[in-house]
Amino acid sequence: MLSLNYTRIVRSARALLHPHWLLTKRESVYKAVTCSARCITTSLPLKDTWHSSRSLKALGKGRSYHSNLLLRYYSTGQVELNCWKCKQPLDQSPAFFCMSCKVVQPPEEGTSYFKIMDCDCTFTLDTQKLQKRYLQLQRSLHPDNFSHKSVKEQEYSETHSALVNKAYRTLLKPLSRGLYMLELKGISIEEGTDSGADPEFLMELMEINEALHGARTSEQANEIGKDAKGKLADLTKEIDAALLKGELQAAKALLAQMKYYANIEEKVKEKLSELM
Amino acid sequence: MAGTVANKCLSPLTFITRRLSAPEFITQCCYHKKVVDHYENPRNVGILDKQSKNVGTGLVGAPACGDVMKLQIEVDDQGKIVDARFKTFGCGSAIASSSLATEWVKGKSVDEALMIKNTDIAKELSLPPVKLHCSMLAEDAIKAALADYRLKQQDDQQEAVRASN
Repeated sequence: MLSLNYTRIVRSARALLHPHWLLTKRESVYKAVTCSARCITTSLPLKDTWHSSRSLKALGKGRSYHSNLLLRYYSTGQVELNCWKCKQPLDQSPAFFCMSCKVVQPPEEGTSYFKIMDCDCTFTLDTQKLQKRYLQLQRSLHPDNFSHKSVKEQEYSETHSALVNKAYRTLLKPLSRGLYMLELKGISIEEGTDSGADPEFLMELMEINEALHGARTSEQANEIGKDAKGKLADLTKEIDAALLKGELQAAKALLAQMKYYANIEEKVKEKLSELM
Repeated sequence: MAGTVANKCLSPLTFITRRLSAPEFITQCCYHKKVVDHYENPRNVGILDKQSKNVGTGLVGAPACGDVMKLQIEVDDQGKIVDARFKTFGCGSAIASSSLATEWVKGKSVDEALMIKNTDIAKELSLPPVKLHCSMLAEDAIKAALADYRLKQQDDQQEAVRASN
């Protein structure tokens, strides 16, 4: 039975290397590992007294030094971390504050923005919920709340707050959200010319840009802006479908198109402010 | 913060040097005076007759930044580029790169124009590393225009052969 649990540890730990696990199965992996770890430590010979006393002590809390070592060797420090101050295990992920001593924690490396903002890793996102979560997090994490605390706590609140800002900004807009989702799967849009671009599409973009450049009234600019918004809405639907089906290359091409139209939208705003 | 400061720097009339503290941007963010010059006094903006047999049109896009660039060349019967025009919608560096490209191709033969490298354009304009892709775009636009011209010439020759038969 012990060997079975041991293989479970190894399998779960290996699974930690797979990014998908990091995003979704963290808690269940953690539980499986601690349960297996408990079984392992009971069978360890009590040679090293410090080691064994720690093991026995940790056993009471459901974890062991040995399993810590194993996990740290396999994982990138993702699965289990302890509070930097009171050394208690941080049972949450992502952990913003220690459950025991309530002290602010530094952000875990590699946590996905979706996890931080407590959203499902999908292209369609409830931006209201996102905003609520953002405000809730910043209310407690913002460095202004730590002006009378220790330097270390101030530093940690700064990094954590900045990360929450970045996560919010990335997930708020469909374009950056989509690009981030591709990034999580290891795909990014390369800089430089798109040799596979459809010449008809580029021609159309040129014409829209030229029309916008030549617009003399706000109505003309608004008209172009409306068309661009319509195109963006269509692209959003198509990208959502592509990402749900796992068609990453198709999603990449659509996101590239979205970038062009997002630029046009920006230029419409500039033009409107010029014309005012 | 880096994003908003970068946006501010992209405004063409920024002459003040800013040093960004965010780790992604370590280079100085300020447009070189040559880039500003090309932006404010662009050379050869416009269009040539796309249908003409002596005109090659290159249309390229950069999906990462959403820039679009059109470069057209007019070639005489001796294979020398006599005129060039461009239209670019994008950042100042992209506009400057394409403006410079049209300046450089004028007076060159088709083969000589093919030798223009993005590194030369970037060096001339002192483009920072983050803007090197703009010069790449300009080089690709030149090549696309030359390729389009070559294609038109080939089609022409084939037509002439067919007509004579």
